[in-house]
Amino acid sequence: MSDVSTIDRRAALDWASPQAKKRIRRRYAADRRLQAYGIIAIGLAVGLLGILVTSLVATGAPAFLQTKVNLEIYVDPSKVDPKDPAKGNFRAIVRDALFAQVPAPETDKQKTEVTKILTSDAAYIVRDYVLAHPETIGQRITIPIAVSDPFDQLYKGVIPREVEALNWTQERTFDRLQNRGVVVTHDGKAYLKLDAYIDPAKVESGDFTGIAHESLRAYLPDVSGTEMFGMLADDAPDAIKGRVETDPGVVGKTIQVELPVSEPYQTLAKGETPMVLNQRFSPEQIEAFDALVAKGLVSSPFNWELFLNADSRFPERAGLAGAITGSFYALLVCFLLSFPIGISAAVYLEEFAPKNRLTDLIEVNINNLAAVPSVVFGLLGLAVFLGFFGLPRSAPLVGGMVLSLMTLPTIIIATRAALKAVPPSIREAALGIGASKHQVILHHVLPLAMPGILTGTIIGMAQALGETAPLLLIGMNAFIPSVESMGVLEPATALPTQIFSWADSPERGFVSRTSAAILVLLGFLVMMNMAAVALRHMFERKW
Amino acid sequence: MEAKVEARPVVNVQAPVVREEQGAMAAEQHELKMTARDVNLWYGEKQALFDVSLDIFDRQVTALIGPSGCGKSTFIRCLNRMNDVIEGCRIKGDIRLDGENIYAADIDPVQLRARVGMVFQKPNPFPKSIYENVAYGPRIHGLAHSKSELDDIVVKSLMRAGLYEEVKDRLSESGTGLSGGQQQRLCIARAISVNPEVLLMDEPCSALDPIATARIESLMEELKETFCIVIVTHSMQQAARVSQRTAFFHLGKLVEVGDTTTMFTNPSDTRTQDYITGRFG
Repeated sequence: MSDVSTIDRRAALDWASPQAKKRIRRRYAADRRLQAYGIIAIGLAVGLLGILVTSLVATGAPAFLQTKVNLEIYVDPSKVDPKDPAKGNFRAIVRDALFAQVPAPETDKQKTEVTKILTSDAAYIVRDYVLAHPETIGQRITIPIAVSDPFDQLYKGVIPREVEALNWTQERTFDRLQNRGVVVTHDGKAYLKLDAYIDPAKVESGDFTGIAHESLRAYLPDVSGTEMFGMLADDAPDAIKGRVETDPGVVGKTIQVELPVSEPYQTLAKGETPMVLNQRFSPEQIEAFDALVAKGLVSSPFNWELFLNADSRFPERAGLAGAITGSFYALLVCFLLSFPIGISAAVYLEEFAPKNRLTDLIEVNINNLAAVPSVVFGLLGLAVFLGFFGLPRSAPLVGGMVLSLMTLPTIIIATRAALKAVPPSIREAALGIGASKHQVILHHVLPLAMPGILTGTIIGMAQALGETAPLLLIGMNAFIPSVESMGVLEPATALPTQIFSWADSPERGFVSRTSAAILVLLGFLVMMNMAAVALRHMFERKW
Repeated sequence: MEAKVEARPVVNVQAPVVREEQGAMAAEQHELKMTARDVNLWYGEKQALFDVSLDIFDRQVTALIGPSGCGKSTFIRCLNRMNDVIEGCRIKGDIRLDGENIYAADIDPVQLRARVGMVFQKPNPFPKSIYENVAYGPRIHGLAHSKSELDDIVVKSLMRAGLYEEVKDRLSESGTGLSGGQQQRLCIARAISVNPEVLLMDEPCSALDPIATARIESLMEELKETFCIVIVTHSMQQAARVSQRTAFFHLGKLVEVGDTTTMFTNPSDTRTQDYITGRFG
């Protein structure tokens, strides 16, 4: 006993010693380090999220505007029969209205080109308007008509009017020739000064182009023909031909020729960047579109069609209404199935089930189900719901059923956790005044667990809303051009599958629309999560 | 959990010391309300109660004292079958309420708990309004046939629990917003709202300050005029103040039971004496 106390005394700490102070400093440093790791981690997460959202907004923002032409249209009674307006020749009406505003195109080909400024659906837009307003037959109406995707992108500045005529390799190749002094300039025109072998065989067959190409290839043996032959102007072979005709003695010899270079390289030789009209547009189209812009008929208002229209092959007409409706139906089915089943299962497992090997097995499997990849549930739905039960393909009913397979484990686990978190004192209180098991659960435990249950459910539903793979497997990515025919048993598409199919589409307009659709999906997710928070606050009670 | 009705053994080595004179005296004034005979209880493999036999009389307070883990809370929970809900709990023996075996097959534990009410260690009002807290019991047992009858029960119960004056203007406010002592009185009001015959109190004051404790104790003084009260307490002073009979538990056995005054002044078992004088526990 006394030994211990003497040892204790001797080992007493000197809090003012340098070692002790160093230890304190190191402890503080460690505290600060731990805090710093957390801040760095959160900063990284927030930064990455910021980049994601910024890029989505930057790409998606153009899709929220839609370029339209305010076209004054004469609903010609000779083309639209007031008795049967649906059969009217609206294509011609739109054409006439358009041609009235732009420099008249001459050939049929040009007319077709100019008509392509407007969306291919233009005739249907006018038809729908006239069907809704039959009194306008014989009158002049002004309705905004969406322009086709290339012009939409042009007007928004997403794609340029002119593009560089030459690519990087072509410019480099020309540079090389310039550096070797091959390029010479007379009277503001650039020529290539080349040694050309005047092949008698080629002269015989009149293949002066071949001679020109061969001479150029000798200078650039490592460049492919497609990248360099464009340098020669169309009249380059004629220059050789002219030499041969004036002096037949050169045949079979190697002579020096000056071959004119083609148009873009002329510009390049002057030190400027050669530009060419974007291949998506024809000169007539650009001229007509410029005329429309000059008349102030073109504007880009907010794109309500993005929310009101269903899908379309034409990006300028495609909207999310079908996808939103499909997702709504699927989530409704999913909720109606998984909420009651999930709560019942959780209540049974938590409150009634005996602890034995069977319930342990069930518990483990429910936890495992939560980790099963969703595509597996999709396959299950395909095999069982579609294959075995013969439910309709692509229908929100099946989509909702498959999604509920996914959300069930989430709901069951969340509900069980929430039930477990209800303090036992509340159960005892209820039991103590003679409440039966179901009264304890229904009157006291479940209401107190509700915030947790609802949070879990909404998180599960939010997951389901974003789920793509199982919906693809059961075919819930149907092309839905109209919302009216949609129902729980009809083919449908959903938001994530719509994003998937838009992302797959080649048209430029679908690029921004894909981002816009992702933003809409994210918006719904944020709304659902906010609803979860609000519900939790609403139901939260102190105990 | 089948109850086994057994005849009381004539000779019991571990039989508690029962002071016959006091018991007889108590029996004269108060009729026998509950009887426990040879109660054995196991939590899984662990035995928590060993052959406990105890008589509880009406209209008086019986205090159960003893060191922590001695089985007094376990025993009080047997009296209204609250142990039923604990998994792995087995009970053997015979507990009777008014001569009726409460572990008999035809006894509904839910109904029994309405007859034998309970107040717990930690105040545990429902996270509902004060009114709803008290009205819940009468409602589920169908004691009130109209809103006014229910109002009447609620007011009377709150009055008897000595809480009405303090909360009469805020009956619709949450019961969890009250102070600890008020919450515990609300729990008492809730327990007596269904008109139980026996009121079990499991350390009702251990979470309360001395003033709130004093209020609960004076309340028990009043309530014992109507109810049979069994209280578990860690405080010997409290047992001495409120109870008429005291039972001392130790290591799952009932060591001694008798008149409170005698128990505290002249205990016959040395263990009781050691505990009361604070030598262990």
